Amino acid sequence: MNKFKWIKLFLIYLLAFVLQTTVGDWLQIFGVGPDFIVIFIVAIAIKYGPATGCFWGFLAGFAQDMYAPVEWLGAHSIAMTVLGFVVGQLEERFLTLNLPAKMAVLAIGFFVCDMIYFLLTGLEKDVVTNLFFSKTIPECAYTVVVGAVVFYLSAGKAGKKKHGV
Amino acid sequence: MFRAFRFIVDLFTQRHGIIAFVFFLLVGLLMRQAPNLVKENIVSSVLGTVLYPAQMALSSLNAYRSIVAENEQLKQENARLRQETYYASEGLQELTRLHALVRFDDKWGYPIVTARVVGHNPGRFLTTLIINRGTHHGVKENMPVFSMNGLVGKVTKVSYAYSRVQLLVDPNLKLSVLERRTRVVGFLESVDGRTLMAMVPTHAGVKAGDTLITSGLGGIFPKGIPVGTVKSVGQADLDVMRQMNVIPFQEFSSLEEVFVMEKEPDWIIQELLDE
Repeated sequence: MNKFKWIKLFLIYLLAFVLQTTVGDWLQIFGVGPDFIVIFIVAIAIKYGPATGCFWGFLAGFAQDMYAPVEWLGAHSIAMTVLGFVVGQLEERFLTLNLPAKMAVLAIGFFVCDMIYFLLTGLEKDVVTNLFFSKTIPECAYTVVVGAVVFYLSAGKAGKKKHGV
Repeated sequence: MFRAFRFIVDLFTQRHGIIAFVFFLLVGLLMRQAPNLVKENIVSSVLGTVLYPAQMALSSLNAYRSIVAENEQLKQENARLRQETYYASEGLQELTRLHALVRFDDKWGYPIVTARVVGHNPGRFLTTLIINRGTHHGVKENMPVFSMNGLVGKVTKVSYAYSRVQLLVDPNLKLSVLERRTRVVGFLESVDGRTLMAMVPTHAGVKAGDTLITSGLGGIFPKGIPVGTVKSVGQADLDVMRQMNVIPFQEFSSLEEVFVMEKEPDWIIQELLDE
């Protein structure tokens, strides 16, 4: 992986972070908004494979952990590391993913990520159930829609796939 | 340095990234299992050195957006308040005019017709006005026309719904006036269509600042309608008379509405006018 790729990925992550903290708030409907960070991790993992996916997943999760309660430190990091790695593995197995497949990966990844997070935070079952229906499902749907747009727009620029950090 | 970095990167990318995954997973689990004090140290050090400065830059974007939205909202509110203030001011002015009208009405005992100025003569000098009241509303020729401030003129031509008003500055209008302080009677006219001149006897001692009102002697205008103030007093062609520059109380170019007093000329004047 060359230096420019690092810079490029860092800028893309920064863009996702900015989108999450600005546009993400503006796009909220009844408190439900898209998760640009998850879209970023899935997109990176699909394109560059599991190593890059879990690295950026860890970084993005760690950044989110900073804003979560201190007791839950590490929960986001682990969940997103797993997300990046698993999605990266999928991409390695099925070298070509079309748009619906990417959307499906994004949706499953979103659920898996949330489930790991809920598991690690040790929340009670009732709370998790409530969060699952009130946050996970609608936000997953919203994220998939926004993610589809992102994937579609970036599809034209997608070149030859390279794996590895 | 770069080689060491490259070595680590290569190590992490071996075996489909499993090493990287295990490493990051372990770091995550360590953080997860760390005591709360350590967690707080990690969070505070990262927040203080990296995230807060970055967040500050990002928050300025949101601040800018909120300022733009607030600015837009304030503009709309400002426009609405301006509109309301305008209407309130208009209403207040109308109320004042109506109060004054009630006083006028009481004072002379003639019915009053309110009229709106809808036009004026097209010449360079303003000498006549068109009002939106005519015979249909009870307006007749030679009825006095006045405003809140004072005398405006008289009706000279009447149609069904419109009338023409001859202003005081019309050179064809001569008016008998009374100086309020000295009670001396003179007459007022305009020689050039712009300024008003009044002639009074020299012995009366009229001076600048005195007030002129209608004398009621002409038979058309009732007594006591304010006409104007004396601006300056000069010598007339005859020594026994003084010529005065008079500033009318009413600025004719800014008239929007006037009142027609339904007072017909006295019978003797009417006869003279008919002849």
